[in-house]
Amino acid sequence: MRRGNYGYFLLVLLIFNLFFLSCSSQNKNQVLIWHWMTDRNQAFQKLAKEYEKETGVKVRFEIFFPPNVYAQKVQAAAQAGTLPDIFGILGEKEYLASFVRRNLVVDFSPYFEEKPAWKESFISQALEVSSFSKDNIYRVKAGIYGIPIDFMNIQFLYNKELFKKAGLDPNYPPRNFAEFIAQAKLLHQKLGVEGFICGWGETWLMYSLALDFAFNIMGEKKVLDTFRGKYSYNSPGWVKVFSLFRQMKEAGIIPEGILTMANKEAEEIFANQRAAFSFNGSWCVNVYQKLNPQLNYAPCLIPEVSSAYPRKIWGGAGASFMVNAHSPRKEAAVKFLEWLTQKKQQDFLIRVTNNLPAIKEAPDNLGLVLKEFRKGIDYVTHPNLWPVYEKPKVIEKFTQQLQKVILGEITPAEAAAAVEKVKLRIIKKD
Amino acid sequence: MDKAKKAFLLTLMHTFLISVAVSCIFPLVWMIMSSFKTYQEFIQIPADINTWRGFLHWFLPHKFNLANYISAWRDGNLGMYFLNSVIYTFLAVSGIVFVSSLAGFAFSRLEFWGRDFIFHLFLAAMMIPIPAGFVPLFVLLTRIHLVNTRLGYILAMINVGLSLSIYLFKTFFDNLPRDLEDAARIDGCSKLRIWWNVAFPLAAPATGVVIIFNALNVWNEFILAVIIFADKSKLPLQAGLMEFAGEHIGNEPLIMAGLTIAALPIIVVYLLMQKHIIKGITAGAMVG
Repeated sequence: MRRGNYGYFLLVLLIFNLFFLSCSSQNKNQVLIWHWMTDRNQAFQKLAKEYEKETGVKVRFEIFFPPNVYAQKVQAAAQAGTLPDIFGILGEKEYLASFVRRNLVVDFSPYFEEKPAWKESFISQALEVSSFSKDNIYRVKAGIYGIPIDFMNIQFLYNKELFKKAGLDPNYPPRNFAEFIAQAKLLHQKLGVEGFICGWGETWLMYSLALDFAFNIMGEKKVLDTFRGKYSYNSPGWVKVFSLFRQMKEAGIIPEGILTMANKEAEEIFANQRAAFSFNGSWCVNVYQKLNPQLNYAPCLIPEVSSAYPRKIWGGAGASFMVNAHSPRKEAAVKFLEWLTQKKQQDFLIRVTNNLPAIKEAPDNLGLVLKEFRKGIDYVTHPNLWPVYEKPKVIEKFTQQLQKVILGEITPAEAAAAVEKVKLRIIKKD
Repeated sequence: MDKAKKAFLLTLMHTFLISVAVSCIFPLVWMIMSSFKTYQEFIQIPADINTWRGFLHWFLPHKFNLANYISAWRDGNLGMYFLNSVIYTFLAVSGIVFVSSLAGFAFSRLEFWGRDFIFHLFLAAMMIPIPAGFVPLFVLLTRIHLVNTRLGYILAMINVGLSLSIYLFKTFFDNLPRDLEDAARIDGCSKLRIWWNVAFPLAAPATGVVIIFNALNVWNEFILAVIIFADKSKLPLQAGLMEFAGEHIGNEPLIMAGLTIAALPIIVVYLLMQKHIIKGITAGAMVG
C-alpha cells in the first residue's frame, strides 16, 4: 500500500466516527416492544399502526431472531438496565422468577383488580403460565407477570387423505394406543409412508409425549410425587411409559432417523404427506399452511393407554409479554397490552398467524383444525403450571434412556432403573 | 517397487484430498443451485435419484430463475443490512489492522515495563470464548453510552479481533531483520516512522492474514449485533438473514438465495486475499 492510501484510509475512518457512527436514535414518546416471533411480525406492525391511529400512541415492535440470541439480548439488557417497555421472556419459569426477584417486571394483579373483566377474558391456563401463587416453589412474590397473546397445545395429528387412501375412516382417529399402533402399521405397510413422525431430535417433544402417557397411566398425583421424590421411577407405571416407545419402534411405525430429527424436518415430512401421524403443537397450523395449503389433517388427543386416569396434553400460553417495571411508559405499555388482547385484535392475529387465541371468547374466524385444537383446552397441563418441577439432570437422563429404549439397547425396566438412580443421587445431594 | 509404492501413496492421498474438497464444496454448490429453483422443483425428489441422470436432474435447476434473489433482496431488506455489513467489516478490520500492527510492533521492538506480561494477557484473552464476554461487554457499552450505536459495535468487534491479530503481527515482526530498522534509524526515522515506513509495508503478508481472518469473523458475526442494537436499521446482513430465514421457514430456495447473497462478498474477499494468506503463512506469520 502506498503512503497516500494510508492517509486516505485514516481520513475515512475519522469521518465515519465523527458524523455517522455514534448517533443513537431513541424516541422517548413511543412504546418499544422486543420480540422474536417472525411469523407474527407483519401482523404486529399492522396492529401498531392501528393502535396509533386509534389512540395517538406510537408503538414500535422490534424483532430479534433467532430465539436463543433474543434470549441473550434480554438477559444482557436486564443486566444493564436497558430493557424495552414490553418484552417476552423465553425459557423456564425459574428464569421468569429471576426477573420477578430483581423487580424487573410489572405485576398485573393490581390492574386486574381494577378491571376484573380483563382478567376473566383470558383462558386461565394461559395466564397461569406467567403467574406465581402464594408460597410458590420459586419463592417469589405472588402475582401475574405476563400477558398471554396466544394459546397453544400439543396433540397427535393424523392425515385424513392418507386415511381415506388406506381404506380407514378419516373421521375415526385412534382412541387407544392399540388402535393407533394398528392404524399406523396399516398405513405404513399399505401406502409406504412413515407411520409416525416427530422431531425427537428436540428431546423436549419426546419428553412431553412421555409425560402425557404418564399422566394417563398413573394420574397427576403420582407423576408429581415422582418429581417430589415420593414415588419411584422404578414403578410399573413409568416402566409402561418407556415400553410404549419400544412398542412404536417394534411395530415399525417410526423411521430410523427420528431421534436426530429436528421438528422442522418432521413438519416438512408430514406436510408433504409422507407420514400418517405426527405429534406437534398448534403452531403447526401456520407451518403446514405455508408448506402445503392443501394438506387435509386433523388433531386428536393422545391415544388412551389406560382408562384409570384422564388424558392430559401439554399446553399453555404460546407467547406472553411482560412490562418493564422501570419503564417511564409503564402505564402506556399496560394499556397497549390490554388493547392487544381484546377480541378484535385477537381475531386479527388468528386470521394472520393461525394461532389459538389467549382469550376465552370464541373467535369469529377460527379454522376447522384450530377449532379441534381448541377443544384440547380442558386437557391442558404444563410444567409451568405444576407446583413442583423435575430437576433438569433427571429430565436429561430420562430422555437419554428413552432414546436407548427406542434403539433397543436397553429394556424399559433398565431405563426406569437408570433414571431412578439419578433421581436418588440428586435427592441425596439436596 | 518404489515407484509402485509412490504411485499408490499418491493415489491414496489424492483420493483423500479430492473427497475432502468435494465434501467442502458440495454444500456451497448445492446452496447456489437450490437458490435458482422454485419451491416445487426443490421438494421434488426423482425416483431415479440413485442414478447419475436422476441425481443431476435433482441437483441442477431446470431453469436459472432469479425470482428468489429479487425477493430476498427486496422483501428481506437485505440491501440495507448488506450496506451495514460492508461498513462494519471495513471499519472494524481497518481498526484491527491499525491497532494490532502498532501493538505487535511495540511488543516486538520496544522495551517497556511489563511487556511480556501484557502480551500474555492478550494471549490469554484468546482462550476466553467470545459469547462469554457478551453480557459484560453490553453492560460496559451501556455505561459509556455506546449501546445501540454503530461506533459501539465496531469498537466491540475491534476488541474481539485484537488478540489474535496482535499475536500474528508480533510473530511476523520478530522475524524481520533488524538491519532494515537500523538503516531507517540512521536515516533519522523515529520509532513511529520506522513502523509506518518500514515495518508495516513489509508486513503485507501478515496484514493479508489478519484482514481475511477478521473480515470473515466480522462479516459472519450477528449474535453481538443483535444484543447491542435496538434499531433494526443498524443490524448487519447475517442478523437480517436470520430474521428473513425465520419469516420464510420452509421456503428453502428463497433462504438459499439469501445465504448466497451473504456468502458471495466474503468469498470474493477470500479469493482476492488468498495470495497473501499463503505468503503470510509461509513467511512465518503463523509460526509460533
